[in-house]
Amino acid sequence: MAVKSISKRRSSVQSVVLPLIFGAALITAWQTGLLHILLNTDEYVLPYPTRIITIISENTDKIMVNVWASVQVAVLGLLLGSLLGYLIAIFAATFPKFGSGGLTIVSAFNAIHWTKDVSSEAEVRSTFAKIIVVTVVSMASMSVNAYRGLTELPVFSDDLMKTYAAGRLTEFTKLRLPNSVPYIFTALRVSVPGSVISALVSEYFAEYVIGVGRQIRENILIAQYSTAWAYIVTACIVGIVMYAILMVIEALVMKKRK
Amino acid sequence: MIGAKEKNNIEIMLDNVGMTYDAADGKKVQALTSVTMDIHKGEFISLLGPSGCGKTTLLRIIADLLQPTSGKVLIGGETPKEARLKRKYGMVFQSAVLYDWRTVIKNIELPLEIIHESKAERRERAVKMLDLVGLSEFADHYPRQLSGGMQQRVGIARALALQPEILLMDEPFSALDEFTREKLHIDLLKIWRKTNKTIIFVTHNISESVFLSDRVCVLSPHPGRLSAVIDIDLPRPRAMEIRDTPEFTALVSKVRNSFEGV
Repeated sequence: MAVKSISKRRSSVQSVVLPLIFGAALITAWQTGLLHILLNTDEYVLPYPTRIITIISENTDKIMVNVWASVQVAVLGLLLGSLLGYLIAIFAATFPKFGSGGLTIVSAFNAIHWTKDVSSEAEVRSTFAKIIVVTVVSMASMSVNAYRGLTELPVFSDDLMKTYAAGRLTEFTKLRLPNSVPYIFTALRVSVPGSVISALVSEYFAEYVIGVGRQIRENILIAQYSTAWAYIVTACIVGIVMYAILMVIEALVMKKRK
Repeated sequence: MIGAKEKNNIEIMLDNVGMTYDAADGKKVQALTSVTMDIHKGEFISLLGPSGCGKTTLLRIIADLLQPTSGKVLIGGETPKEARLKRKYGMVFQSAVLYDWRTVIKNIELPLEIIHESKAERRERAVKMLDLVGLSEFADHYPRQLSGGMQQRVGIARALALQPEILLMDEPFSALDEFTREKLHIDLLKIWRKTNKTIIFVTHNISESVFLSDRVCVLSPHPGRLSAVIDIDLPRPRAMEIRDTPEFTALVSKVRNSFEGV
């Protein structure tokens, strides 16, 4: 028991305290100018953290408008992609002969630079088009992981359902669906950061000048590096908040299963 | 000549049952050949044999989880498929197969949910089954919070929840330690006495089969076949102490010797 407690404490030190120390050291080095010396740059290209915070606080309303536009794209694309990915996984698990081939094609989507190719080639104009880019990115991760959850069942569990003369729908709702829940979260851990990144990059190529990604690009183009950095920091915060929300939901849902 | 009364008492009839697999190299592998036997209502039968003798294959054929390539199986006059669809048997596997997202009581309620039993009836029967296996105070626990022996008792309770006529048990205690196993032997005999089910118990443990059974069916490998059926005429109810008696030891030797001629 004591050994377990010590091991748990060591694990929390490694996963929480060490990254915090590293982050604090980095910010200190940044604020004191040490980082500029190490990277051989200046405060114009790499503004001090206090300067970035000042810009964020002075432009909160404008930043929030762009954050909202990006979050809409990321969240809607994530939900749509995850739903489609799960449906593909169900199809692949139900019809393994056709499904497994289809799944291979979908998983290959991950290798394509959708955010760049689709956005530019299709001349993305609207929020809807940007959502499609995020959808495609999120879909691959969900379909592959959910398929594992729907097919990698505890040993003898499908035999058990057969002994109860359970139909396919019953087997799905009582066994396969609940078995796939941890795999859904595995997929989301990949696709939540992926959705934020793909939403930001799809905005680079969009016609409408809105969204955090687009603001980063616009400000770099006009050499407003401080403002660009303010949006970069905002983008990081958006990603961290979305991931934290996922962690909280996962902890609540999986609480009884761990 | 079988008497009419004895014939009416037959629960499971195996007639020349055989099973041949197609191996990966294209060759035919005979897992089971010409198994013929009758199992009576309320009887406790053990299928005993070394690995690869076809005992689990035979149990799975009875359960309609495998189709025999020859011979016939009748369960209460019906095919295994008809018996399965009518949920005439409950099955306990080598592992407890409890769903970790369900509490103990919800695991026991699972088969009752599948047959759309009312919520009140489900709960009442699950509580009764939990009481039967002596785990009432663990109703709201999750499987991971139970020991291996307790998990297997939940598996037995779940198998009995549908009130089947037959209980099929595939090496249910093989993964447990000796102390837990001996305790579960006593528990299982108590449950059997209370419920009067027909039990087919697969094991590779000679002592276990002698302690539990009315008859031990010895299966031999290459190819799997029924090589001996030994009546266990030890008095019931049986307690742990019976293992120390000369009669028990003699029966264990008799079963062991039946392998020697294989």
